[in-house]
Formats: sequence, C-alpha cells, structure tokens
Amino acid sequence: MFHTEEESIVTMINHIAQNNVSAGSESEVADIVENHITKFWSRRMKKILAEQLANGTEEFEPAAKLAAERLSAKMSASA
Amino acid sequence: MLQHFDPNKDYGTPASLSEKMVTLEIDGVEVTVPEGTSVMRAAALHDINIPKLCASDNLEAYGSCRICAVQIEGRRGTPASCTTPVDAGMKVTTQNDKLAKLRRNIMELYISDHPLDCLTCPANGDCELQDMAGAVGLREVRYGFDGENHLDSQKDHSNPYFTFDPSKCIVCSRCVRACGEVQGTFALTIDGRGFDSKVAAGQDEQFLDSECVSCGACVQACPTSTLMEKSVIDMGVPEHSVTTTCAYCGVGCSFKAEMKGDQLVRMVPAKEGDANHGHSCVKGRFAFGYATHKDRIKAPMIRDSIDQPWKEVSWEEAIGFAAKRLKDIQAQYGRESIGGITSSRCTNEETYLVQKLIRAAFGNNNTDTCARVCHSPTGYGLKQTLGESAGTQTFDSVMFSDCILVIGANPTDAHPVFGSLMRRRLREGASLIVTDPREIDLLSTPHLGDATHLPLRPGTNVAMVNALAHVVVTEGYEDKEFIASRCEGDAYAKWREFIIEERHAPENVEEITGVKAEKVREAARKFATAKNASIYYGLGVTEHSQGSTTVMGIANLALATGNMGREGVGVNPLRGQNNVQGSCDMGSFPHELPGYQHVSDAVARARFEKVWGVKLDDEPGLRIPNMFDAALSGEFRAMYVQGEDIAQSDPNTQHVEAALSALDCLIVQDIFLNETAKFAHVLLPGSTFLEKNGTFTNAERRINRVRKVMAPVAGKEDWEVTVDLANALGYPMNYSHPSEIMDEIASLTPSFANVSYDALEEHGSLQWPCNDEFPMGSPIMHTESFPIGDEGKALFAVTEFVPTTERANSRFPLLLTTGRILSQYNVGAQTRRTDNQAWHDEDILELHPHDAEERGIKTGDWLGITSRAGQTVLRARVAERMQPGVVYTTFHHPGSGANVITTNNSDWATNCPEYKVTAVQVEKVSQPSEWQKNFQDNHERQYEFLRGSASSADAVK
Repeated sequence: MFHTEEESIVTMINHIAQNNVSAGSESEVADIVENHITKFWSRRMKKILAEQLANGTEEFEPAAKLAAERLSAKMSASA
Repeated sequence: MLQHFDPNKDYGTPASLSEKMVTLEIDGVEVTVPEGTSVMRAAALHDINIPKLCASDNLEAYGSCRICAVQIEGRRGTPASCTTPVDAGMKVTTQNDKLAKLRRNIMELYISDHPLDCLTCPANGDCELQDMAGAVGLREVRYGFDGENHLDSQKDHSNPYFTFDPSKCIVCSRCVRACGEVQGTFALTIDGRGFDSKVAAGQDEQFLDSECVSCGACVQACPTSTLMEKSVIDMGVPEHSVTTTCAYCGVGCSFKAEMKGDQLVRMVPAKEGDANHGHSCVKGRFAFGYATHKDRIKAPMIRDSIDQPWKEVSWEEAIGFAAKRLKDIQAQYGRESIGGITSSRCTNEETYLVQKLIRAAFGNNNTDTCARVCHSPTGYGLKQTLGESAGTQTFDSVMFSDCILVIGANPTDAHPVFGSLMRRRLREGASLIVTDPREIDLLSTPHLGDATHLPLRPGTNVAMVNALAHVVVTEGYEDKEFIASRCEGDAYAKWREFIIEERHAPENVEEITGVKAEKVREAARKFATAKNASIYYGLGVTEHSQGSTTVMGIANLALATGNMGREGVGVNPLRGQNNVQGSCDMGSFPHELPGYQHVSDAVARARFEKVWGVKLDDEPGLRIPNMFDAALSGEFRAMYVQGEDIAQSDPNTQHVEAALSALDCLIVQDIFLNETAKFAHVLLPGSTFLEKNGTFTNAERRINRVRKVMAPVAGKEDWEVTVDLANALGYPMNYSHPSEIMDEIASLTPSFANVSYDALEEHGSLQWPCNDEFPMGSPIMHTESFPIGDEGKALFAVTEFVPTTERANSRFPLLLTTGRILSQYNVGAQTRRTDNQAWHDEDILELHPHDAEERGIKTGDWLGITSRAGQTVLRARVAERMQPGVVYTTFHHPGSGANVITTNNSDWATNCPEYKVTAVQVEKVSQPSEWQKNFQDNHERQYEFLRGSASSADAVK
C-alpha cells in the first residue's frame, strides 16, 4: 500500500526489477526493466520517474536505478 | 438421401461420434448413419418422425415412455427405438396398426392422470404431450378420471422464474436427467415408486430451497407445462425468435430470444450455439428483466456540477455539451488531459470505435478497459510466452482432457455453462486438480476420477506453479521432443536451470504455500503423466501482484509437459465479462492498437493513420490507475466511460471517488445511473445487448453475432452515440451499420482479416485468427508453430516468486480474497435488477469457524472489516470451505463497499489490482461504516437529482 503517485512509480519500477531478478546481471535486469517501461509506461509516468531519480529522494533497487538512469538519459537526449 | 441437420429439430437421442457407417432400412427407406446411432435418431435424420415423450437429443436414451416402440424384422416384441442402436441390414417398421394401438394405449394411460385443461394451459401450442396425443390419434380415455390420480398436487411457485406443477407431470425423468447429464448438479430426483413416483427437488424441498441452481435445463427438457417459465404463463407462447449472444460472462452462450412483437418472453439457449450447445445458466436464461427495468436511463442528461440536479436534454444538446467541454479542456490543459474507458460489456464494434475516438479524435492513447482490472496479466503473460494474448483452445476441448488443472477459477459459479461441460468430463473419468484457497464446488462434483485440492495461501500462486514445474523437470516428466521441436532453446535452458533449483522443490515451498509437499508432487505427476492435461485459470491467478508471472508459469508448465497444440490440452484463461477478449482484441489498451499491434510500431501505425486520416501518438497512454492519479494531480481533467462502473469495480474506492470528483467533465454512457455516473456531468443512455447489433468475442476467441431484438430505449445503439460524439468533436465518423465497422476492423487487424458479418452468417461463429492462413478460423491455436520470434518457437519465461507486500500482521491478521457468485454478475448493475436477488441480495463475509470462534462471531453477525485502505461492514457467514486465516466476500452490491478495503497494490507488469490479497481484521460491530453512511447519503441525493431531472431547467447555466 503506497500513498503518493511518486511513491507508486518508484515502487512499480522496483517491482519490475524484483520480478526479473533471475534474468542475469544487474545490467541484464536493467535491460528488461528499461524495455518494459519503454513499451508500457505513459509519457507522464516516465516523466515522474525521471523527476524522482533526479530528486534522489526515493529508494531504487540497483537494477531499477540503472534502468531509470538510462531512460532518463534518453528522455533528455530526445527533449 | 441427404441428411440436413436442423438445429431446431429434436432428433431424440444424441449423435454418435463413430466414423463407421451402418446402412439399414426404415419403413422401406435405405438409410446410412454412424454406428451407435439409435433407430429413433436414424429415422428422424431422414424425416421419419417416431413419436416420443421421454427422449430428447441432449439426453442419453432412457426408454421409459415406450411410446417410441417400433418393430424390427427378425426381432421379438416392440423395442423402444430410442434405446435400440442401428444394425447393418436392420429392417425397421415405425408405423402399422399394432404400433398405433400400442401407442394410443400408452397415451391413454398418461392422459388418464393428466388435467384436460389444454385451452387454458400455458403450454398450449408448445406441448409435446399434446402434440404426441395428436400424433398417435388419441380419441378417448376409457379409464375415466375418477380413479386415483395426481390432479390435486400442489404447485411449487418458489422459484422466481418458473413454476413446478406436479399435476401435469408424466414422470418421464427428462428434467431429472437434464439436471444430472446437462447441468451436472443432480438437484432433482424421482421420489417414491410405482404410482407414487414423483419429481422432487433436493430432499423433497421447494425448488428455491433445494440445491437447484436454476439453470433452466429442466424447464427446457419438460415435455409438458409441469416446469414452465413464469413469463410464458404471464404472456403466452412467443411468436418469433432472434438468435443472439448472451451478455453475461466470457462463455458467450448463443440464445434464441423468443419474442411477442417487441416484448421478450423468454431466452432459450440455442442448440446450434458453438459455445453452449443448448445449455444456459440462471443469468443468461432468466435474468434479462433489467432490460426493461424502471431504472433505465431513457434520455440524455447534463449538469455543470455533480452537486446539481440533472437536466434532461436532447441527444444533440448532450453531445454538443460533452464535445464543447472536451475541446475546452484540451485547449486549456493540453492534448493528453482527456481520455476514456471502453467496456467489456459492449460489442467489438463499440469498443473499437471508442478507442478510435480517443486515439484519432482526442489525439492521444489514453484509452483503457476493464480488462486492466481482470485479465491484463493474461494478455501480457501469454504474449510473452506463446506469442498471442489469448487462450489456446475451444471449450469443447475439455472433453478430450484426461487431467484438468484449475487454478484460481470457480467455473461452476463464474462460467457456469462451461462448468457443466467440465463436470461432464469429470464424470467420464478425467482427474481434477484444484489450486485455490477455497474448496470450490467443482471439488464436490460427482465424478469417476480423483480430485486433488491444493489449498494454497492467497498470494502464493507463483510458488505453487514453480513447485509443480520443478517436479516435472526433476522427476523426468518433461516432454523433451516437444520442447526440442517447439520451444526456443536458450530460453528453455535458462528456465530449466532456474526451475531445478532446490528452493522450488515442494518441500521448500511448503512453508510458503501451506500445502503438503507430497500432495504437490502427486499433483504434478498426475498432470505430467496424463495423456492430455489442460489448465484452466481465472482471476484467482491474474488479480495478484504477481499475476503476470503466474500466467507465464502456467504457460511454462503446459510447454514443459508438451500439452499444447491439440485437443484436450492448452492454456485456458476463463475471461470474466462477456467481451473481455474482444475489448482487448479491439485495441482498448493504451499501448496497443487493434490486434495487439504496438503503438510504437511505425508500420502498423501507418496503416491506421492512412485509414483513420490522422497522425497517431507513438507513446503508450494512461492506464486506468494512472488516469486516477493524473486526475488527482490536476493534469487529467475529462473522461468518457462507456458501459463500465469503475467507481464500484476498481480497488481502493475512496481513491477512485476522489479522482472522479476531481474531473471537470465525466461523460458516462450506461443503461443505469451506476456508481460512476453519480460523479458524471453528462449521462448518455446506453443500450442493452438486446437493443443493438454487433459481435462479442468469448474466452475461446469465438466471434459471435449480437442481434437486435428490440429498439433502443433512448433511440440510439451505443456505437451511434460514439459516432455522434466524434463528429461533434470535428472528427468525421460515418457508418450506417456495425457490419461496416467490422469491415474496417478486418482491414486493419491481421487476425480478423477474413471476419465479416456475411462470414459469420455463413459459419455461425468464427474463432480468430481468421485470415488467409486460417480461412475457417482457428479452434485450437499453436498446432504447428507459435506467432513469436523468427522461428515460431515458444519462449519459456523465468518466473521468480516475489511475495506481495500486502501481508498479514498482528493488526491485520486475516487475508481477504474477493470473488463472484453464480446468481450475480460483476458489479451487479444488471442482475440486482432482476429476481436473481432471491439468491444473493447482499454481499456476505465468509470466514472459517476457527477465526469466527476466536472473535465470538456467529453467522448473521455484523462485522467491521478493516484494512490498510479502509473499513466496511458486512454480515458474517461461518463456512467450513474457508481455510483458517482467510476470509472471502463478493462485490456485487455497491453499498457493501468491498473495494473500500482492497488496496492499490497491483501486478508488476500490468497494474492489474491485487483484489485477491488484502490483509484485514474483522470484529463485531453494530452500525455501518462511515463510508457506507456517506455512500447511502450520496446515493439518495443522486437519485433525487435524477428524479428531478425533467424539472430542473436551470441546472445548467
């Protein structure tokens, strides 16, 4: 049970990473997380994710953080 | 002679499936039929109609009435043609003086104990006894009517939909046999012997008090008016019928809507229905009264604020009001500030149009559907592993299963007609494994095979499915040949390495699931060694934080054992609502265009852009929960909801209500003022399935026609309203009939390429994929390859078990799981407005006697149920079928507030809510919860606003 949208976004990316933890190395798990978010998350969710990453206020799983960083970099590059 | 099968004709006994043909002679006519066919059926197939009373072609031959007696050359006596199989060279006589006299004598005996009130009998004109009396030429009853008889037997009116009048019963046992053979409930019996024999429900109880599930099979089977629909008693026999598709549940039964003018008299399941073969449940057959209920919204309404009364307006004004609001909001807050929700209760054509409206006219991908909260993990999980977001089989395939594994589904309640078919197969000897926290009714069904119950703890499906697969692999039950030829090697190797880890062994999982390891091993062996093993699953799989993982685990299990691509096997999601499959197929999800074509696929997008004439967004839009979050943040301001009731069905009700209250414009199109409509600014009258044309797609991918039998109460079919809204927004839509919409769907959706209304008329129904590769459709998928990857090979998926964060503790020591009941449907908007209320007029909390005793709770006590999300109050039922520590309720009544207590936890891949696991505490209370009090206040206020709609002219400034 989470209480804010920001909390839910970070919980969700962590959850994706946890459920794919057996995919291999941290980088391989991050690949899966990144692909999943690219394919299924809306623009708005991705934006909130990037903001939470930038704020550094939320606890990310290592693979989730790596994926969030990659996504954030891509968003910045295409902006 | 050609044999034309006429589904409207009763051939007396079931068809033989033998491929060996036998030739015989009946009344001098040479006939050739499959070996095992009865003489009665062989004759009927050649239009030689032998009189009958106790025979019906949906029941095994019984041979009790003897009126079908015939003479066979070289054989003694007059055998019953229904119980006599054909023989090569047999010479049968069906009509001569001896037989005529015999039949008249039998009929005379029947009629000597039967009321002679034919002219005032409700079955007058539709009575087989009457027809047969005529056929055998009965002219007198020599015995008189003064002897001992049953003419004063008391009627049983207890069932809300049919009466039982034993004075008219001829004790043919058709009802008893239908209850057993067709429905599988065995609620009826013949009580007593000889002259005292009579049909009895349960332990000679009233029908309503017995275990009768009111499927109506007995009513349909009755050859007299002993069991008769009350609607026929009230209105008389129908004069025409239209074949259409039921709008309850994912079975998608075909029915004949039997009419008098534009009044629906009764629904009779269609024998030619490919999904139901002439069977039905209490909802489909009887619960249609909501269509003419006084609560129907009959005119469009608008209002500025949800605190104001409604103003009844013309269609033009309502559509204009809605369009202006949407345009103004987009102008002020941006293109992505609005969106909509399609409905699994509406037709394919309607859902297609709503998502088209959103993508093309709103200019974004903010479209989602109620599958989000039920089977979205099926879409994800099966696409990842098998390449197609759908079940692999037909319903009939279960008749070839030797082992049936049911996970998190309750078919006899939620998919009753398929549940009956499954029961039939179990009676034939298939074994059953049920993985469910509750002891569902299927486990107690009479059957020849063995039944295993794995009563796992809620939230542990992945651990259980992994444990089953672990046993399959480590004990050497894998189908190596299938895996080598049909599955991708690297993915398999990775999965195999994962699944053989000792942590997945049943002995190590026992602590998680609570199920004894040996029982799990036995179940796995049983599944893996069966010639044909099939898996059926429901929302008990998907509505978890690991729903998608379990779906993939189920696919792994089927692949590892080679149970894929033929009859009797496969992965079968039992879809909740009537058109869940269709609404997903039609592109309702924010990331997929129709036919599961991703919005980022430039080639697919270009085809849609060409036909739709607009540029499409290449990014996924908002899912339903995202829409709520965005509404609360002020970024999402308007929503168009067709035929869904998100305020009742979605979890964490207070959150949903707050989000809906925050919208500047909520447009609801529905047949009633549902819970969502109480937060609406525009209320557009919806049309029921009886009032429109279209198609539904059921859980076996079967596309079936929905045909209009009466005019829409407010003058428009639902698709016409969407067309009007699009045009008012400046995006032209121009269709004159849903068939044109289907033609557009077929042109853009590869799996529907050969689907058209003409093709559906010709074939009755079609299962997608239906295209040049599969011109007749695809009853069973993946027979040779999977639509995935370059090589068409299935992908095993690694299925890590990640426990839910929703856990019991000292404050919330029990786990709540929610579900459905036979007599009610989903949010209950339809069934609550029928006499189905007789069976379930409130949602109840079931709990185990141990948990009840600890808290001093008795059945009937009011219980406060508190979770991390909220509190509600329900009445208690102490039930042995619950396991200690687990409580259960349904969500059919809005005032129950079942979703006030469910949380916002959701599936990691799809956001499908975790309805099946909520940690709660229960305690005895004496008054409703605060939410329930507020609900009641708002309910009364909103209905007052509705009643005052016509007179509140100044509601909209």
